[in-house]
Amino acid sequence: MDLFLQFLTNGLVVGVFYALSALGLTLIFGLMRVVNFAHGEFYMLGGVVGWFVTTYLGLDFFSGLVLVALAIGSFGWLVDRFLIERVRGQGEEPGILLTIGLSIFLVNITLLAIGPAPLKVARAITEGPIFLGPVTITKMRLLAMVIGIALIVGAHAIIHRTRLGSAMRATFQDPMAASLAGIRTKQVYAATFALGCTLSALSGMLLASIYSAQASVGGLVSLKSFVVVILGGMGSFPGAIAGGLLLGVAEALWGGYVATGMVDIIGFLLVILILVLRPQGLFSIRAERA
Amino acid sequence: MYRYVLGCALAAGVAASGIAASGSANAQDSVKIGLVEPLTGSVAYNGKSVVEGAKLAVEQINAKGGVLGKPVELVIEDGQCAPANSVNAVEKLVQKDKVAVLVGAFCSSATAAIMPVAAKYKIPLVTGVSSSAALTEQNNPWFFRAAETDALMAKAFAKILANDLKLKSVAYVGVNDDWGRGGVEEFSRDLSALGVKTALTEYFDHGSTDFFTLLTKLRAAKPDGIFVAAETQDGSILVKQLQEMGVQSKVFGVGSWATADFINLTGDAAEGIYAAVPYVSSVDTPRNNEFVKAYEAKYKVKPGKYGAAGYNALNITAQAIAQAGSTDAEAIRTALGKTDYKAPNGEYRFTAKGQAYGFDAVLVRIEGGTPKVVASSPVEAPQ
Repeated sequence: MDLFLQFLTNGLVVGVFYALSALGLTLIFGLMRVVNFAHGEFYMLGGVVGWFVTTYLGLDFFSGLVLVALAIGSFGWLVDRFLIERVRGQGEEPGILLTIGLSIFLVNITLLAIGPAPLKVARAITEGPIFLGPVTITKMRLLAMVIGIALIVGAHAIIHRTRLGSAMRATFQDPMAASLAGIRTKQVYAATFALGCTLSALSGMLLASIYSAQASVGGLVSLKSFVVVILGGMGSFPGAIAGGLLLGVAEALWGGYVATGMVDIIGFLLVILILVLRPQGLFSIRAERA
Repeated sequence: MYRYVLGCALAAGVAASGIAASGSANAQDSVKIGLVEPLTGSVAYNGKSVVEGAKLAVEQINAKGGVLGKPVELVIEDGQCAPANSVNAVEKLVQKDKVAVLVGAFCSSATAAIMPVAAKYKIPLVTGVSSSAALTEQNNPWFFRAAETDALMAKAFAKILANDLKLKSVAYVGVNDDWGRGGVEEFSRDLSALGVKTALTEYFDHGSTDFFTLLTKLRAAKPDGIFVAAETQDGSILVKQLQEMGVQSKVFGVGSWATADFINLTGDAAEGIYAAVPYVSSVDTPRNNEFVKAYEAKYKVKPGKYGAAGYNALNITAQAIAQAGSTDAEAIRTALGKTDYKAPNGEYRFTAKGQAYGFDAVLVRIEGGTPKVVASSPVEAPQ
């Protein structure tokens, strides 16, 4: 029983981390419908830029986090205005090729600039285990969970409670009508992409302070994030949380009771099951879209 | 599909930069040695160390006039530690660059894949890293391993570990590939023979970041010692999380553990852990001090296991070419078999199967952020 509680805790923590790292993709892929294969690279950039600002600029963790958000957000804005905009409305394939190219470019630029070594990002607080009865968790993990949940709630509020959020939803439902109603859709696309990149980068820096930042982490992050988004349902924040938690707990229990060596199998098994049984995902409101 | 496209594009990109870096000397006035190492992916970092060591060796050889009166040219390819990419890299090195000797390919699974290719083209292949015992059992006459095997390391250190650390039960954790599984099997066999109980055996995938599930099982098994076969990235995160989970058992590992980077990444969680390594920079011999000095002057860090491996493999290769007196593959192969190379860490010779022996392996304990040598044992020729 004690073991089960620890497995469950591990699963929930990792689940929140998965949900967090998939947030940006939920926006960009789920809402904007850009199949963003460079998602993991924005996550990676968050960690690497986080390492740079905390190590070389001497910032503390939270100022670093703000600077990373600003830097990657502006970068995301530029990427949308100068790259994604050119292929918008031409179907999904040009966007896929573009983001694959972007991901290769970003990985290799990072390799060129700082090399393949894993990097240590300064931690926000001194690390130490906390024992809650039979369950062990660490301070940094708790903090990351809290920040993660805050980011998820914040992003949800932006989409559903603000004028910008209404403009986003209107634009992605029907760009023509949104445009006729006076919404500057180009700005909305860029803002959404920038927000998605910012969320990816924030999760990247947060998790890099727990694990480590490295140029080559992107591929795995992209894969897991696609699993989470598809499990949860496209564009749904509650779905991303549910998808993340489901994946985290399933991996923890599979690893705990079967074998840790084959843990990646479970995520893809879940995706196949969901696609067969409920292709719109756990939380998606509609399966089809105009 | 995505990964495949990405992989190809990456390989192409790195290949292009590798060629650019190696200069434009043409085939007639240089002796080409092909080097296949992972330059991207989860062991890229260790692969880069091998390349650094190799480049230092080439620089020193060329400073002394090269071999056969020509400078040595290193042609570097990215094999990504993946069998398919490594084979592609070798095909390119042989067909396009026409290298005289191949060195590579880091991961045992990748080396196993390129061995038949080397045999097909009749080109000698020297590895400085791949340690899966099965490789030298294939009787491939073109293959030479200038590295320890898991079995030889296990044999050299099992007794020291069991007696000096007083271990009664050990949990085995390894990365899920040939090397990790090989290491776990060899150490558990030799330690079991000495009466040490196996508490747990678990594997994890390359690039894993969260080990809490594995460590939960491990903590519940309550072993005296934990054996870990992992490289810098995976190993440093694992050791950090061992501390975060409050696991108190003694940790000893194989892989790139006694390096400055490992200690830097792991922080104070690295205190007191043991590592069985074929090379550590703190060994105090004149040859080693000279090597460490040169390496530090060039790269601003002390050499680790893989820097030394790249350095040794290149020196052995160049020495064999010089001995052979030509770039004829058959002559080089014969010369490699007669290798007597004085390395920073002892002397390298090869058995008939192409397995190196004679060099020293060391057991270190990390104290105050530096690896202290606890015991050293020459690697003996396998029976």
